Amino acid sequence: MYLFILKRLFIAIPVIFILATLTFCIMRITPGGPFDKDKAIPPEIKANIEAKYHLDKPPFINTSAFHEKKWADIFTETQYFYYMKGLAQGDLGPSYKYLGRSVTDIIRDSLPVSVELGLYAALLAFLLGVPLGILAAYKHNSWIDNAAMFTAISGITLPSFLVAALLIYIFSIKMAWLPAGLWDGGWEYKILPTIALGLRPVAIIARLMRTSMLDVIQADYVRTARAKGLNEVWVILKHVVKNSLIPVITISGPLIAGIITGSFIIEHVFAIPGIAKHFILAVTNRDYTLIMGVTLVYAVLLIIANILVDVLYALVDPRIKLS
Amino acid sequence: MKKISTLFFLVFISLTLFLSCSSRLKLTNETLYFNLDTEPPSLDPSKATDTTSNLVIENIMDSLTDYDVSTPDLKIVPKVAKSWKVTKGGKVYTFILRDDVLWTDGKKVTAHDLEYSWRRLIEPATAAEYAYFLFDVKNAKAFNEGKVKDFSKVGIKALDDYTFQVTLEQPVSYFLHVSTFPSLSPLRKDVIDQWGDRWTEPEHIVTMGPYKLTKWKHDYQLTLERNENYYDTKGKLKKVECFMIVEQSTALSLYQTRKLDVIRQVPPLDIPKLKQTSEFHSGNFLSTYYIGMNTKKTPLNNPYVRKALASAIDKTQITEMLQKGDFPTSSLIPMGMQGYNPDLGHKFNVAQAHEWMKKAGYEKKEGNPSWIHSKTKDPFPSITFMYNTNEAHKTIAEDLQAQWKKNLGITMVIDNQEWKVYNNSLQSSHQSPQTASFHLFRLGWVADYPDPDNFMSLFTSYSDNNHTQWGSSKFDSLTEKAKVILNDAKRVDLYNKAQKILLEEDTAIIPLYVYAHQSMWRDEVKGAQMNPLDRWYFDQIWLERNVK
Repeated sequence: MYLFILKRLFIAIPVIFILATLTFCIMRITPGGPFDKDKAIPPEIKANIEAKYHLDKPPFINTSAFHEKKWADIFTETQYFYYMKGLAQGDLGPSYKYLGRSVTDIIRDSLPVSVELGLYAALLAFLLGVPLGILAAYKHNSWIDNAAMFTAISGITLPSFLVAALLIYIFSIKMAWLPAGLWDGGWEYKILPTIALGLRPVAIIARLMRTSMLDVIQADYVRTARAKGLNEVWVILKHVVKNSLIPVITISGPLIAGIITGSFIIEHVFAIPGIAKHFILAVTNRDYTLIMGVTLVYAVLLIIANILVDVLYALVDPRIKLS
Repeated sequence: MKKISTLFFLVFISLTLFLSCSSRLKLTNETLYFNLDTEPPSLDPSKATDTTSNLVIENIMDSLTDYDVSTPDLKIVPKVAKSWKVTKGGKVYTFILRDDVLWTDGKKVTAHDLEYSWRRLIEPATAAEYAYFLFDVKNAKAFNEGKVKDFSKVGIKALDDYTFQVTLEQPVSYFLHVSTFPSLSPLRKDVIDQWGDRWTEPEHIVTMGPYKLTKWKHDYQLTLERNENYYDTKGKLKKVECFMIVEQSTALSLYQTRKLDVIRQVPPLDIPKLKQTSEFHSGNFLSTYYIGMNTKKTPLNNPYVRKALASAIDKTQITEMLQKGDFPTSSLIPMGMQGYNPDLGHKFNVAQAHEWMKKAGYEKKEGNPSWIHSKTKDPFPSITFMYNTNEAHKTIAEDLQAQWKKNLGITMVIDNQEWKVYNNSLQSSHQSPQTASFHLFRLGWVADYPDPDNFMSLFTSYSDNNHTQWGSSKFDSLTEKAKVILNDAKRVDLYNKAQKILLEEDTAIIPLYVYAHQSMWRDEVKGAQMNPLDRWYFDQIWLERNVK
């Protein structure tokens, strides 16, 4: 298993390199730069700023070095080379928007907040979604099934900003039970954002669990277990639930990576200082280094989550072997 | 069943009591809870360019002078400088500094700290956007461009510990405003050298304003505490907790649930309901929202067409539709500023607009609502209006489209672009204006300092902010003359003449309205006041809560 994990981590290196290159290309193709503003900056000042961030160099190929026959500079005196050199040394560069802060600082400050909120939401999703799916499948076509699936469909279809606004209106404004936003200050600040962020994953997991369990429940080995006179609770937990978990585990990797990197809407509405806003605002600000930074963070989390999912497969399903 | 319902009831009651107790803040008269709206991108005075950063900097730093926002004409009052004299026909400013101004680490503030700060702003390595604030100073521009290396040739000098002298290239009427800028407050060289870019973090920063930064949780909250070493009257508030809540409706909810005392902005949809309350406050910015015209692109290269478009807009209809309380205007210089003249610019007059179209060479045949060129017989082409993606701009674009269709029979196409793409389109249109994709665009300008030059110099033929491709040597010379003249009446006269060319004779832009801004603060917050520069001085605010 360790060899498998090592191998997967090794493959991840070129994946990250290609991703960084592609993101870099897309950013430079997009019109507008970090210092394009409605208030025009005089050209001489813009030149100073661009020189400070190496933006005065061509993005990929330095044609003037080619004309001057400085062969080594053709690729090294470029924005891409400077960035990749920094990246290889673990330096994500300075933010162009938040002057004086490095991208590493920004990620270090904001990622733990999103991870904390994401873990609460993931916990809620599994603790509520899995039993809801089991119950709905076990009581197939009963009112419990219908009610659970109604909740699940609502959870998927209701947009998160609406759920957040409703929660704030009911629990903060009308009942004055919970704060309408902010994050630090106690557990009561975490409840509404957790529900708002977790509702959709709850619904996804519940629906998936139900469908998967309905398949498994009709399998021959379940009938055999029942025929052998096994206790019904034992049949469900040991034979049905365990085997129905495979599709849930499959999606849980990207699902968790998605929710721990935060939700722009939820963090925005509840004024939570997480990383999610940087995925959007870094692009609108053309904060090149921050865009790269958050994209790489997301990629790394996704890779780790997928490796964990593969390991979990092997633990849940004895037919799957890691090689 | 009865037992279960009793249990539920008890759980409900205890949860209500528990939750309502746990989420309550301890309110005192010493701490103000304030919404900053966003994370300040930088608290380094040389690098900050936005209102949020400057709001904080103005409270932790003092410049040579400052505005008295309680006076209608925003009088300039002494701060670090106790007095100043202007000599050599307005070319040399000598500031005499107070000798009792202390840094938060106890050292004295001297003219050398000012010299360092002013030098740092124009130093090419600092790459400060606002370096151009000092381009009127002798050799400052050349120093910034790297053409002059020897700083002693620049007109910025600390003559001794408490005398600071600035020599200008030529006299400029607004230079005293420059001395109020937070970008030019004194700075500590030793602190910046020691900590580099991180010197603005609370553990390193050394300041000298009425408050000091003691905590900064990025993207979330920063704490300002009273500076007990402050040289002027100390503030009554001991602490100001500033939050960075971007979403206006969340800030309003937190305000309504007493987690915030002041919100600087109010969600536009809530304005009609909230303006009935005593806690709602409204004012205007020194600002102008305008429609710019690409004067090189057919058919807008014809000034009469531009005049017709300007005369066919009912601006009141637009501001009423926006429901933000903005003030319709036809003048570029905003109300509240020297040179504002409500009589200038085209007024809404449909009959006049039709006359302008005829003068432009277009005619309407009976039964045909479209304009046709009387010589070429070409129909009037549809024009394109470009705006950056935003709900308010969209409303304005759609209303203009409807008004020009109804009042003039002209068809307008609307094109929206993301903000950075939009700025890029405006800039790149300078190379080939005839082939640019747009005829019209929108922009706004908020005063850097309360002087008409800040608005008028936008439309000189050499201004990088002039995207209309229009240029007039007469306008340029009037604006340049007004910049250096020190007599107020003569300046106003020159600006009237210049505005007449820009807004009437050539009609390169159509001013639409002056931005209104709305804030909410509790009745127990005293001393706060709306002002056209949106300045918040925490040392002038105090609280009168009923604290038991």
